[in-house]
This record gives sequence, C-alpha cells and structure tokens, in this order.
Amino acid sequence: MTDTTRTRSKQVEVENELQTHPGESQWRYAWRSFRRHRLAMAAGVVLVILILGAIFAPWLTPYDYARQNRSNMFGSPSLRVAADAQTIDKCARPQVLWWRCGAHPFGTDDLGRDILTRVLHGGRVSLLVGFSAAFISTLLGSLIGAIAGYWGRAVDAFASRLIEIMLSIPQLPLLLILVGLLANPGVRFGAMLTGVLGDSKNIVIIIVVIILLSWMSTARLVRGQIIALRERDFVEAARAIGASRMRIVFRHLLPNVASVIIVQATLMTGEAILIESGLSFLGLGIQPPAVSWGNMLSRAQGFLYYPNGVYTALFPGLFILLTVLCVNFVGDGLRDALDPRYHGRA
Amino acid sequence: MATYLVRRVLQLIPTLFVISLLLFGLLAMKPGDPIDEMRRGNPGFTQADYDRLREFYGLDKPWYVQYWRWLGRVVHGDFGTSRQFGRPAAEYVFKYRLPNTVLLSGLSLLLSFSVAVPAGVWSALRQRGFVDYTITVVSFVGVSIPIFWMGIMLIYIFAVQFRGFLPAGGLATPGVTGTWPILGDRLRHLLLPVLALSSLQVAQWTRFMRSSMLETIQLDFVVTARSKGLSERQVIFKHALRNAILPLITLMGLNVPALFSGAILTETVFNWPGMGRAIYDAILVNDFNVAMVSLMFISLLVLLFNLLTDIAYALVDPRIRYG
Repeated sequence: MTDTTRTRSKQVEVENELQTHPGESQWRYAWRSFRRHRLAMAAGVVLVILILGAIFAPWLTPYDYARQNRSNMFGSPSLRVAADAQTIDKCARPQVLWWRCGAHPFGTDDLGRDILTRVLHGGRVSLLVGFSAAFISTLLGSLIGAIAGYWGRAVDAFASRLIEIMLSIPQLPLLLILVGLLANPGVRFGAMLTGVLGDSKNIVIIIVVIILLSWMSTARLVRGQIIALRERDFVEAARAIGASRMRIVFRHLLPNVASVIIVQATLMTGEAILIESGLSFLGLGIQPPAVSWGNMLSRAQGFLYYPNGVYTALFPGLFILLTVLCVNFVGDGLRDALDPRYHGRA
Repeated sequence: MATYLVRRVLQLIPTLFVISLLLFGLLAMKPGDPIDEMRRGNPGFTQADYDRLREFYGLDKPWYVQYWRWLGRVVHGDFGTSRQFGRPAAEYVFKYRLPNTVLLSGLSLLLSFSVAVPAGVWSALRQRGFVDYTITVVSFVGVSIPIFWMGIMLIYIFAVQFRGFLPAGGLATPGVTGTWPILGDRLRHLLLPVLALSSLQVAQWTRFMRSSMLETIQLDFVVTARSKGLSERQVIFKHALRNAILPLITLMGLNVPALFSGAILTETVFNWPGMGRAIYDAILVNDFNVAMVSLMFISLLVLLFNLLTDIAYALVDPRIRYG
C-alpha cells in the first residue's frame, strides 16, 4: 500500500512543480526534472569529462600513443619515475600536472606503450564511432519510421517487411560479412572507399555498418508512435488547412515524438560503443596503428598469464564500461524527465 | 485462428527467400573462393586443378546462377559439403556444433530466468528502497558491460589468479573418464562461459520484470485481491506475479535466437566450439555452405519464435483476435 501512496505523493509533487512555473516550455521543465535525477546528473558530468579527455588527449599526456619502448614492457601502474626512465621514454613533453615523463599511471602494454595515453587516444575513436553512428542511425530510423507510419499502405507494408527481414538476420554475422566486404581492397566498393577516405576508412566503415544494422528498432518505435498520433485532431486540422504530407510529418508529428527519439539516440550510443568494441576485439574493427578501446583489447587475453599483463585488458574495458554505463544512466534520466509516464518506473 | 496461422506460416517462405538471397549475394561478393583454402598448403595444386574444381563446384558461374543451384539443392534437403572439413555442412553444423551451443545457451537461459524473476520482483516490492537501488545499479552495470571483457576478467580471476581453479576455456579436459568425473569436468568448463553469456540477459530481464511488476501491482484486480483479505503473499505470487511474468516470456522468446549467433564473442573468449564460432570461422575462410546453413537456421529460428510469441499472446489474452 505504501508504494501506491508514494506514487501518489510523487504525482502531487509533479503537479505542484508544474503549477509553480506557469508558461514554462516543455524543454525547460524537462531540464529541471533531469537535474533532480542525481545519478543521471553525475553520469552526465563523468561523460563530459570523458569526452573532454578524448578531445584533448594529445595535450593531456607526456607520451605519443604509438611510441614503443621495448625496455619497459608490462610495466606496473605507478606515478613514480624510474631512475633511468626519462632518457629512455623520449617524451613529447616533460610533465602534465602531476604526471611526469617516465611515469605510467596505468602501466605499459606488451610493446612498452603507456596504457593511459592509449586509453585517452582510444576514447577519441570509440566515442566518435559511438556518437556519430547513434546520431545518424536514429535520424535514419526516425525518418523511415515516420514515413512508414504516416504514408501507410504500400509504403508501410514495404518498410515493415524490410524491418522484419533486417531484424531476422543474425546481427553479428551480418556485421562481420559487411565489414569484411567493405574493408577488402579486392571488392570494387572497398577499393573506392580506400581512394576517397585513405587511413580513416576503417572508422567510416564501422560507423556505416553499425548504422545499416541498427536503424530498425528506432524505425519500429517511431512508426508506432506516429500511427498513434496520425488520427489526432491537430493533425486533422493541419490536413484541413491544406498542409502537405511532408509538412505534417516534419512540423507536426516528429516534434511530438522528439522525446522518444532523444532517449532512443542516447541508448543507441551505448549500443554502438559496445558493437565497435566487440568488432575490434575480433580483429575486424579499427585496425592498428589507430587505437580504440576495442582494439586495445584484441590481444589482451593472451597477456593474462604475464606479470602485470592484466592491465592491458583491465583499463580499456573499464573505460568502455564506464562510458556505456554513464550513457545509459543519462538515457534513463532523460526518459524520466521527458516522459512523465515513466516517473520512477523504468 | 487457423487461417491466421496458415497465412503467417506461408508468409515465412518469401521472407526466408529474400534473406537467403541477400546473404548469398553478400557472401559471393567476397573475393576469394572456397578453393583457395584447398590450394593453400598444397604445392602440387596446379592451375588446371583449380579451374577444374571451380567448374565442378560451379564457382565459375555468376553468383545468381550459383544461388539458383544452391536453392535447388536446398529444397531437396542438401546443404552441400563443408570445404573446411570435407563432410556435409548440415551434419557438421547440426551434429557437432549445435549441441554445444544448445548446452551453453540453454543453461544461460535457465540461469538468467531464475535470477531475473526473483530479483525483478524483489526490486519492485521494495521500490525506492536500498534493495531496489542496489539491484537497479547492478543491472545497469550488466547492460553496459562488454561481454567479452567480462569473460576475460572472469578468466583472469578464476583461472589465472586462483591458478587452475576453473579452466580458462575449451569444452572438456582430455583423459577424464567415468560418468561423474566427466559431468563435473563439463560443468567446470561451462561455469564461466555461462556466467559471461548470462550477464546481459539477467540485467535486461531484471529491469523488465521490475517495471512489469510495478505496473501490475497498481492494477485494480490486485487491489481487489487485497481488499478481499488475501494474504500479501497470495496477492503477490498468485495474482500479480502470474500476470507480470507474461510480457517477460514474450521478451525471452524474442531473445532466444540471438543467443545462438550472439554467442560469437563468448565462444571466442572461452574457445567454445559452438555455432557462433562456426559461423565466424566459416565466413573468414569462405566456407559458404557452412555459413549459409547456420545463418539460415538462425534466421528461421527468429521468424519461428516471432510467430510463436504472437500465437502465445493470442492464446493467453482473449482480447486479441486474429482474422
């Protein structure tokens, strides 16, 4: 019984909040209720720090991420500087805050490269892949879902069938086939990509493939929402004054499902980061010398039996976990804030 | 209901056709063919042999001709031979790989279900309490953790730190004899992969169960049950739980097929000879027949489970009518 009372008091609280701020826009209200969600706020702050760390990676570390040092393989994590380290490490700069040249806070890997430096740099690729793939995939999914939902009939039937087929094919094998195809210089399209993109080809391929295989859930979600909205009075009114179908979809329907789409985009980001890490772990994603959290892990399993070898696996994985966790907490907070029906439920 | 069922089953055929066409086309676009594997490591292999074999297997024809021939054989139940192993592809996949995957996924399903349901219910009954927050945070971690990394960390803790406490991978220890020792050995090999594979499901299903339970316990019939004077235990377990668990069973049905192919990462980390791993290897070395038979099998599974879920819904919920 106490639970229901609590839910009620929560509702009253929400209503009071609404009354004390008359004329406030939906988004300001959402922002205010998001700020109350402490866990989501904290996760948001951590996420911002991670993103800043990735952006400013080259200036935050004394080392070059690709520089090898065969005399210091599998070094243990420590802030202390070994006596002869400074001369051997050949740093790009002598010191960043308390992190001096020759010290390795996360240890060093199998080639004597500094792990923290590589984690910072790896974040650039992993976060770039995660955010851009999620953004474009959500955009594409919303578009297809909205068109299918509003147009109906043949368009809807075709889109729904396409979604069903894409969802029935096992995802991971399809990813493997597509990445293999696009990355292979023997395939005409793959060769063309190499010509256009050069070294960044791998990153673009991963992003494209993740988009191709992840737009369906958004499309399905948005289609359902649009169908529910399609017959409402405000849409009828827009139709009556002669608004075009495009205008109705983009000006009247999509803004109404914006909150659902935003939450979906957030959750998709976590998903994309996990997919990238899995593909790179299998050796099919980001290729060395480029560094991502996933490809740092690809050989780490073999080092578990070396002394200090576990750090090559521990830190990249921890950063993937931390990032995806924060993204999911933020997504949860956003859902809470944007959709009043979800209050405290999910 | 009968006409609906027939229509749905008939709809499977064109869908499967499109899927097979798509997969076959993609696989055929890959440079290199299955003969390359034979040529590698065989110095006596001449260009004439190569051409002859290509003609024999029909690999010199364009891909749609190859597809047509493949389809012709498949409708007669012949999925071709695996070029890696020289035995029928279907036999290799279904006899040697599928049982291992069924074992791994089955145990993982069982574990996930038996952890997720009590955890979700407990969490819902203590909404906003300490237990609820703990379970919620743990399931967030479960959703966010990369499965293969969790596998690596489990190996580090149980196989490296506690030296040999549990095996780091593989199916069984060679040389173990006797019924009980073999069973124990198999379980020891299963423990870590099952744990790693279950983490995501446990987390997702716990959260799902929690929200489903929260939704159910505020419905009128639960209030009625309470006001009728039933004990809290009866209200929760007899009335609320039975209704709250239905959506979870749907979700489980939709998740099951993904376990078959999604285990690629877990199977790789633990060196487990299952289907996911077979698909991965087959794609890498151009063993088309093995890749096609396993991928089509999983696609069929997905479609069938979708259908089963819809039917189950119709059977359970009398409000749903299909014409």
